[in-house]
Amino acid sequence: MTFSGLTADSGYFEDFQVGQRMRHYRGATIDEVENNCLSKLVMNTAQAHWNEDSMAGSPLGEGRLVFGLITASVVVGLASQDTAENAVADLGLDKVRFAKPVHHGDTLYSYTEVIAVDEGPGDESGEVRFKHWGVNQHGDVVCELERRVLLKRRRTGTE
Amino acid sequence: MDQPDFSTFPLARKGRSFEAFAEGQGYQHHWGRTLTDGDNALFCTATCNWNPMHLNTEYARAQGHPDVVINPMLVLCTVIGLSVEDLSEAGGLFLGMEDCIFHRSVHPGDTLTARSTVLEARTSSSRPNAGIVTWHTEAFNQHGELVVDFRRTNLVVRRRRGIEDG
Repeated sequence: MTFSGLTADSGYFEDFQVGQRMRHYRGATIDEVENNCLSKLVMNTAQAHWNEDSMAGSPLGEGRLVFGLITASVVVGLASQDTAENAVADLGLDKVRFAKPVHHGDTLYSYTEVIAVDEGPGDESGEVRFKHWGVNQHGDVVCELERRVLLKRRRTGTE
Repeated sequence: MDQPDFSTFPLARKGRSFEAFAEGQGYQHHWGRTLTDGDNALFCTATCNWNPMHLNTEYARAQGHPDVVINPMLVLCTVIGLSVEDLSEAGGLFLGMEDCIFHRSVHPGDTLTARSTVLEARTSSSRPNAGIVTWHTEAFNQHGELVVDFRRTNLVVRRRRGIEDG
């Protein structure tokens, strides 16, 4: 099996500069599969995420509340092709904030800024720190987070 | 058909209110979870994360992994899921998370367990019905190796009259 061509010739460590911004091309509507199904898949026992009846009249808005980490996962997912296509590993997250509730039927878009690049000690990879924003169909920020990814360097990543 | 008066059935309540949390208290969370190829494929595709590291076994092997790397967001969601009944099920907004570190990769067939410690429990001046609790959560694989750890902060509802902690 040939591996060259499976990932884009972009998204290497050298391709990112501090201050660089990206508006990711695709948005995603959150519904049964994304919230109801995945919240139960990941063992989240809080029925606010999957019992419609229990949320009638909720001060957070009618209907099932999307699990915050599902929102964050979709925001990261929508950004993944542009930020992790040639990743070695995801290193971590920080400063994760949930600004507004998300409900079924809402659509999420993802925006990213490069906030740090760290060459590190080795010559095979380097660390990039991204800030991601998740924005709903009304243009309101619903979630923000920082994410550290270890990326291949171009000269060693093209075998 | 006769039906019993369901309002007389005692509720098998779940979740803990704010008053149940004291700094330093520890919880070993229930159940554990073996993460499978199917979990990972469903989670990655549903969250638009089609990276071959997570979904192409041969590509992942060529990168030096024994199998696909389970999406770390799935690992994180599962660890939080396992902790919800002990920590946040009683109700209250998920405020945020700090210092989440993915210490090692997880592969299909690996089994996660999780535990948490209360770092801080304080009342909220703006919300008389809730307190703010911060926990440190750690998750381990079947070999006892640390997989992920983080701090999570939630609003947690305060005890209401007549409601006992589960």
